[in-house]
Amino acid sequence: MKYKDYYAVLGVERTASQDDIKKAYRRLARKYHPDVSKKRDAEERFKEVAEAYETLKDPEKRAAYDQLGSHQAGQEFRPPPDWETRFSPGGFEDLDLADLFAHFGARPGRGFSGRRSADFAIPGEDYEVEARLSLEDAARGTELALQLAMPEIGPDGVRRRSPKTVRVRVPKGATEGERLRIPGRGGPGANGGPAGDLYLDIRLEPHPLFRVSGHDLYLELPLAPWEAVLGTQVEIPTLDGRISLSVKPGAKSGQKLRIPGRGLPRPQGAGGDLYCVLSIVTPPDPGERERSLYRELAAASHFDPRRHLKKGEPA
Amino acid sequence: MSDDAILQFLDEATEVAMDELLAASGLARAELLELVELGVFDLRPGARPADQASWRFSSRAIRLGRRAARLRDDFGLNAPGMALALAYLDRIEALERRLRELECQLLR
Repeated sequence: MKYKDYYAVLGVERTASQDDIKKAYRRLARKYHPDVSKKRDAEERFKEVAEAYETLKDPEKRAAYDQLGSHQAGQEFRPPPDWETRFSPGGFEDLDLADLFAHFGARPGRGFSGRRSADFAIPGEDYEVEARLSLEDAARGTELALQLAMPEIGPDGVRRRSPKTVRVRVPKGATEGERLRIPGRGGPGANGGPAGDLYLDIRLEPHPLFRVSGHDLYLELPLAPWEAVLGTQVEIPTLDGRISLSVKPGAKSGQKLRIPGRGLPRPQGAGGDLYCVLSIVTPPDPGERERSLYRELAAASHFDPRRHLKKGEPA
Repeated sequence: MSDDAILQFLDEATEVAMDELLAASGLARAELLELVELGVFDLRPGARPADQASWRFSSRAIRLGRRAARLRDDFGLNAPGMALALAYLDRIEALERRLRELECQLLR
């Protein structure tokens, strides 16, 4: 079994009072709670903090944990010899410390073998997993194979985690930040308890062309200055093939052209829209002939783009 | 295994009954009633106030309810505390959606 230093996780001394442990937990929970922090590793950190607190807040579990002695975090160690016969006849090698303590103390004085809880139904664990999809897969729907470390009660009555693959079909219409629930596909229940649920937190991979807002897609559409002035017909990519789009004369940078129904589909009803955001770009390296035409244009045009900035004139 | 799985979008379009919401969220009945009173959860139309068996919620309520229970467990919040935290989180999410929409319109 791998050692975890619960005191170090909470940043307290081994001699800390119960009150200090509670304060340290509260401070760290506010910092790392996934509902509060958007930092990349916040959720992972919070899990460690919560696991440490779960054991140290309970004087009985804390005393048992202290019996394990002090080791380097992550170091393999063996619990005291009498623990194996008392708690886990199958050995401790592949057992997680958190699972060991989760059993402990629920019914004082009975240790944590499986017999203890044989008389009441325990619902299975819920799982929340992040599902990363490409935009194309989100639009079409896709099948995912999720790797979950699911607990299993072994013949010795002790809970161990083993990797399990759960296949789920994600229908079209899921977008960034969407939450899906698959009832009964979480961890198995015990003693007739119902299985837990599986929750998918949908995350879309960044797309080279489209940006996503809800079910709407945005595509930046560059135009040459003369195309913006004269109007043009362009071909643009969409999630289901290329389409032709006409840009009216006098197009402006930042202007949005809406193409209804060409965004991400929704599970029910009409899909989102595609917006083309116009961007007027200049030739990076115009030739001499091109320059001369621009000079001619400059001399011929009466257009003043900064008229509204001139003194005394209203904006 | 995958074909018979019932998959639920936790959005406004689908509905969930009171008991299922309780089981999925981990909230106690009394807490849920208080959160309804505080306006965190809206009953779907057609519910008879005196008859809890007739109450239906949008399945987005599962997401809110789980979040409420998590805030309760991790920070020791009571129902008014949960309601306040949920209201702030809801505002943050609305702002993030708006921010995302505006970022989509920026030219690179």
